Amino acid sequence: MSKKSEILSAKPISRRLFTGGIAAGAALAATGLPTRRARAAAPLKIGVLLPRSGHLALIGQQCQRGADIAVPLLADMGHSVTLMNADIESSPDVARTQAEKLIREGAHVLMGAFQSDATAAIAQVAEQKGIPFIVNIAADPAITEQGYKFTFRNFPTSPMLGMGGMSLFKDIFAATGTTPKTAVLMHVNDSFGMSMLKGIQALTPKLNLPFKIVETIAYDPKARDLSIEVAKAKAAGADMHMVVSRLNDAILMVREMVKQQYEPMGIISPGSPGMYEKQFFKALGKYSEYCITNVPWFDPKQEMTSVLGAAFEKAYPDQSYELNIGFTFEAVLIAADAYKRAGSTDSKALAEALRASNIAKRVMIGGPIQFDEKGQNKNLKSAAVQNRGGKPVVVMPKESAEMAPVFPMPGWKARS
Amino acid sequence: MSGVSENRVLAGSPSTGEAARGGLIADVPRRALILLGLFAALLLVAPATVGDYLLSVMILVLYYAYLGLAWNVMMGFAGQFSLGHALYIGLGGYTAGALFVHYGLPPWFGMVVGAAVAAVMGGVIGALGFRFGVKGVYFALLTIAFAEFTRILFDHWGWVGASSGLYLPVEYRDTDDLWLLRGSATMFYYVILAMTAGAFILCHWLLQRRVGYYWQAIREDQEAAQTLGIDVFRYKMIAVMLSAAMTAIGGVFYAFYYNNLYPETIFSMHRSIELMLGVIIGGIGTLFGPILGAIVLTTLGEMLTGLTEDLGLDGIKQMSYGVALLVIIVYRPGGLWPWLRRRLGLEKPR
Repeated sequence: MSKKSEILSAKPISRRLFTGGIAAGAALAATGLPTRRARAAAPLKIGVLLPRSGHLALIGQQCQRGADIAVPLLADMGHSVTLMNADIESSPDVARTQAEKLIREGAHVLMGAFQSDATAAIAQVAEQKGIPFIVNIAADPAITEQGYKFTFRNFPTSPMLGMGGMSLFKDIFAATGTTPKTAVLMHVNDSFGMSMLKGIQALTPKLNLPFKIVETIAYDPKARDLSIEVAKAKAAGADMHMVVSRLNDAILMVREMVKQQYEPMGIISPGSPGMYEKQFFKALGKYSEYCITNVPWFDPKQEMTSVLGAAFEKAYPDQSYELNIGFTFEAVLIAADAYKRAGSTDSKALAEALRASNIAKRVMIGGPIQFDEKGQNKNLKSAAVQNRGGKPVVVMPKESAEMAPVFPMPGWKARS
Repeated sequence: MSGVSENRVLAGSPSTGEAARGGLIADVPRRALILLGLFAALLLVAPATVGDYLLSVMILVLYYAYLGLAWNVMMGFAGQFSLGHALYIGLGGYTAGALFVHYGLPPWFGMVVGAAVAAVMGGVIGALGFRFGVKGVYFALLTIAFAEFTRILFDHWGWVGASSGLYLPVEYRDTDDLWLLRGSATMFYYVILAMTAGAFILCHWLLQRRVGYYWQAIREDQEAAQTLGIDVFRYKMIAVMLSAAMTAIGGVFYAFYYNNLYPETIFSMHRSIELMLGVIIGGIGTLFGPILGAIVLTTLGEMLTGLTEDLGLDGIKQMSYGVALLVIIVYRPGGLWPWLRRRLGLEKPR
């Protein structure tokens, strides 16, 4: 039977039915409790925008795991959130339409988006619609320099990353009593690598670092062979090997260093992916040991870190437990915390609550999560993470360290 | 090539040239005019009936339709294959964006300058290619090379933000400022609608002129065209420079709509491919093909996005997208528009 004919054939409303309906409605209206309760208990809808396909798919999917695992963990802490996931396909254009779609479908808060260009596009939509947007990862400083009122970033800007990564060198040397005089820098020649190079060159004299970079070697991150580059680095005869890498090239580089018996005092990255990732350990085994990366990292002294780590290991035993997980988890935590304090899904109330965030119990190294007037969390620190016993371990800053740093590292031969 | 017969029908075959000179619509069948009118009316009232999300999808459709029309001038009409049109989007966007950010100059001024810069760049590429006999895929490689080294240049040029990108200021506004292109999605919708309509009319007009016929002659057989006395170099240069300038104007729209420009995104090869896909699907060398292609591709993309989220399988969109394109290319190799036009009975009797 069609809907129209159902309506036509329905019995007319009787006087008794009408009176009963009115009475029931009046009773509901008078108490009002079920409706209000239902509203208060309704979970916060977080629109998660991540590059789960396209050229950044690997990292986007990793971030998504951080968001997914946050929901049950936060539920145990009394937070009620649901995720509305959207794949931005590693494209800022798609990010914009997906953000609008999520808002239309009722997202109370947006979160994302790992890549700076997509994050900038989402921030703009969030600002126009007045919907709070929490940036999990994106380092472009301009994102929080636009005077946006609804954008909040819990990730260091690229200058903060550079400063944090470079200043840790001195701490490592002081803690180990070994100071190299010279260094060689091998770096990828993409935008990331080139901007890191600029930062390193600017910060080395500014921070009065004790070593001199005697050779800078650029290479293609998609290179299949780094023998010439590594031979060049070895020929430079520097004490320390600095590296700005991605994953596959980092593996290639260390393999080549072993092959060419190039044994500097240490391999240290001032802040790049690759050496702390699970595939790096799997591919290199004992040769992955003692490499150091200076990056924002989990705070092993925080209780929440071990809870998250255990849950992640259980849910995703084959995946790397690294900073992308931590910052995405924290982004969901920040939204949930703001919702709890705001007591409402109203976007302005949520934005006010976000501005007043003060979350001491967190997973990443740094002070409490607090946002400045631009929406940037300034209490973020980098850590020196050294590969020890087949996993990345915090060795600096001292207050978060699990082990003391080893520098110089043992030679390749000594590891067998 | 099927585009030839399509163009003859739309633009008028040489024998109907006189009728064509009678006006822009003199040679267009009445039925086509009615459908075009209905389509235009639908587009005009759309913002009043659709929500913000759909409106943003429609802006994307029109944006790709516009860029497709621009690329079609060079490839579809004159037969010069470019795989680096992202270069002109970037040049237009960055020129207008930087002039606005640094000097407060309105985008309309930036549009003129950006189009001129792109036309000059197109001219340089064209001159290099055509003077030294670089043809076909080698010419396409030349266009990629220019897009790539311009990207690297912009990646290191501090004045335009280098790899950190160029941000146009965004503020909350209640009103639209058409002069500075600051305002609501509805305003941007009408701007890109006007741009697409303008490009469509311009292409239609060009195809009815001598230059249109010369381009098609060059596309079909360059040597024969030269033998007939056509200044091949000159007309190919006109196609490249015009296409570059039109694309740059699309780049200006992009800059002011998205408000942030990154060299890695805007000059990418991916963007170049994206803008020509719609034309290939719709029908290269046809007038309405780029518009139809943009509608089909964007709608298909959005539908598949929904499906991806429902199934929870990452990457299935790209796979399905590829399969759909494959199906269209296999079954409608000349594009969807020539087939659809036959179905709609819009072909002129010969």
